[in-house]
Amino acid sequence: MSAPSAPSSRRPASRRLVAAFGALAVVLAACGDGNSAIDAGRDDPDAVATTESEGDTVETTPEPPDSGGESADTAAEPDTDEPEAAAEPEEESVATTLPPVDLPPCPVDALDSADGPVEITLWFGLPTDLQAVLQSLVDEYNGSQDRVVVNIENQVDYESTIDSYQQLGTDQRPDVLLAPEFVVQTFAESETFIPVESCIQASGLDTSTFLPRALDTYRYGDLQWGMPFNVSSPVLFYVKPVLEAAGLDPDDPPATPDDVRAASEAIVSSDAATYGLVVDVSRDAAGAYIEQWFGQAEVPFVDNDNGRSARATEVLFDNDTGLEFFEFLQGLNRDGLSFNVGENPGGLDAFLKLVDPSEPGAMRIDTSAALGQLLAALDGGLGGELTRDDLGVGPLPGPTGAAAQVSGAALWIPADKGDASAAAAWDFTQFLIEAQSQSTWSAGTGYVPMRTDAVELDPIASLFESDPRFRVPYDLLAAPTDSPFSARPALGPQREVRQVIVDAIAQLYNDPDGADPAALLTEAAETSNRLITNYNELN
Amino acid sequence: MSADTPFVDAGDGSILGRDRSKAWDEPRGVRRWLRYLLLLVIAAIVLFPIYTTVLAAFSPTERVLQRRLVPGDVTFEVIGKAWTEGRLARYLWNSLVVSTAVTVAQMSTALLSGYAFAHLRFPFRKTIFLLFLATLLVPFEATVVVNLDTVESLGNTASWLGGVNTLQGLALPFLASAVGTFLIRQSLLALPPDLRDAARIDGITHLGYIRHVAIPLVRPTLGALGLFTFLSTWNQYLWPSQVITDDDFHTVQSGLRLLGKSALNEPNLVMAGTVIAAVPIAIVLIVFQRQLVRGLTAGAVKG
Repeated sequence: MSAPSAPSSRRPASRRLVAAFGALAVVLAACGDGNSAIDAGRDDPDAVATTESEGDTVETTPEPPDSGGESADTAAEPDTDEPEAAAEPEEESVATTLPPVDLPPCPVDALDSADGPVEITLWFGLPTDLQAVLQSLVDEYNGSQDRVVVNIENQVDYESTIDSYQQLGTDQRPDVLLAPEFVVQTFAESETFIPVESCIQASGLDTSTFLPRALDTYRYGDLQWGMPFNVSSPVLFYVKPVLEAAGLDPDDPPATPDDVRAASEAIVSSDAATYGLVVDVSRDAAGAYIEQWFGQAEVPFVDNDNGRSARATEVLFDNDTGLEFFEFLQGLNRDGLSFNVGENPGGLDAFLKLVDPSEPGAMRIDTSAALGQLLAALDGGLGGELTRDDLGVGPLPGPTGAAAQVSGAALWIPADKGDASAAAAWDFTQFLIEAQSQSTWSAGTGYVPMRTDAVELDPIASLFESDPRFRVPYDLLAAPTDSPFSARPALGPQREVRQVIVDAIAQLYNDPDGADPAALLTEAAETSNRLITNYNELN
Repeated sequence: MSADTPFVDAGDGSILGRDRSKAWDEPRGVRRWLRYLLLLVIAAIVLFPIYTTVLAAFSPTERVLQRRLVPGDVTFEVIGKAWTEGRLARYLWNSLVVSTAVTVAQMSTALLSGYAFAHLRFPFRKTIFLLFLATLLVPFEATVVVNLDTVESLGNTASWLGGVNTLQGLALPFLASAVGTFLIRQSLLALPPDLRDAARIDGITHLGYIRHVAIPLVRPTLGALGLFTFLSTWNQYLWPSQVITDDDFHTVQSGLRLLGKSALNEPNLVMAGTVIAAVPIAIVLIVFQRQLVRGLTAGAVKG
């Protein structure tokens, strides 16, 4: 539209000037709004470059809850020989997380005094296939008792779930929501949740069979905040006939980055497939893969024990381990061994590339939660000649091929929704993590049962027997470990830092010959540090 | 301007007359064909994504994965599945209700405020008008959070007016717009002042003037405004995806997100949903095309 034609005016020019200033003031007022806690970390990192200062970053050393019980065992090992463990627990500091004494109580008995059934809403963000399995569990729960009625609302994905939660007020928020690992610190510090630790203690729930890694991932400040429900781990998906055609053993998938490269070379040179590894530049996959990579290398990703003993104040990925990761991806791409599907919305494109009739890829590192959907799609004729038996699943290839970290999501119970709602949410949560529910859920999806006794129950027990592929991620996550790196790093702006990393990776792919991985890594670390400083100052 | 008189190049807008082809420097022969060829190529580039979308919507999955660009194996199965699985009937209805409400409301508010700024005298009229215009400088994205706060608190205090997960909440922030006010004001100012003087001498009221004089005369602008409003409301994505968390209240555009998360072996399901969502808007466009063009060019020749 054209600019407004000047209205015919008999007013003096000064009057118009005043009006223009008035208009400008309104615009500035609209734009210059202060940062809310919600927006923290999402701001332009450059905007805070000048305010970067080390001195006033608030550290947190929350005390353990007075009735520690079994929770103390599951806490991340505090006294590792890790040189970067800079935080001194004895140091007096300002607590910014909830001190345990102020823990919102978990009113587990409130259902007894409720008038009639309590209706609660669960928010989640999962594909429709997984929604169907969840719905059947919900129906089972609703039918099994008459005190609670659960409705589920699909927010499309985790990020929308988180955004809607943060933007809406208490009344509009759900009574329980499924939120992923990258939001642990933000949610824990938001002071809007009842830590499930309170509920575990109040109801005397036995957590001894729960996977420690799964619990640890949703611990923050020595409190169990979320209850892991859909637990997964990245695994290597591969097309068996392609590996076979390339002269590789389809039952012995590549286990290390070097193996992946060698296999890709064999695949491409033998023309078994056009590409070896299918990669992407999405936060969920590539952005999370680097965290796993550091975990496997047992190198901290952020300071303060990976953000577990106190708030992370800086990232530590600008080092040899990070450089190896970048060079691994860059090398595959430069030599035509990998194919980048871009942002991979919904996670579909990468898998479709495996069954691409004209230029297929052969391998894909992705969440184990996709396994059920992949097999269903192959049954539905997606892969043409390929059948469900042609899909192989191997452990996540990484620096040492060791500890894998938990992905997926946990159930969080918002505070201030009223006692009855909280009690209902906890009752439903307990149902979802029952051994039988976990067995059903895992068998229908590809998620890992979050407790060891679930794998003894059908349907997952017989599925593990008949289809060992479902067992691969479980074995990775259930393996005993005392590594402090078996839980993911916790940092406030984790989603944003992942975006910074995938932006750097995208540059590697876009300019395979000219991009300097070391420089990109350093730049990504600096940007990430500004994001963390910004977050820590604002929250 | 009359289409019956022979063409005279008087430079008075007669180019819209019967002999308009002569008014243009239209080349003949090869240059003409080259020009058409160029236009065809550009049209093909613009239409290609639409073509592939429609093609995918009507093809079985295997064909889509083979990336065949020639039609064949036409199936309505995917469209049918998108319709039922995507709950598109419900979402189309929501979109229709919201878009219609916003369109009617915006035309009314624009007419009233445009009239006030054009013809009424009141203190700080120019300042307020400039403030109105200044809101054009603030993109909607910058106000989403504040709007969400407002709509949400209205849901608690005056739920008939708004609220999260309501159709009112979807419509509320768009019931008035600076663009509409500005457009209507300008076209009212372009009317001959004599008309208004005559109407006033006849003792007409403000609303009477709007009803009997203004509306008939600014109808092209009003129609264009209505059409633009309808189209932009229909195509809204950001606001519905923020203010709706309950599946029942999505509009067709935000509801399509859910289809995008459907099964792996149906990558064309979302394409089918997109095609269905585009049909009503395409019909509206075709039916009101003349209105749109007339509204856009109305100011161009009048100045």
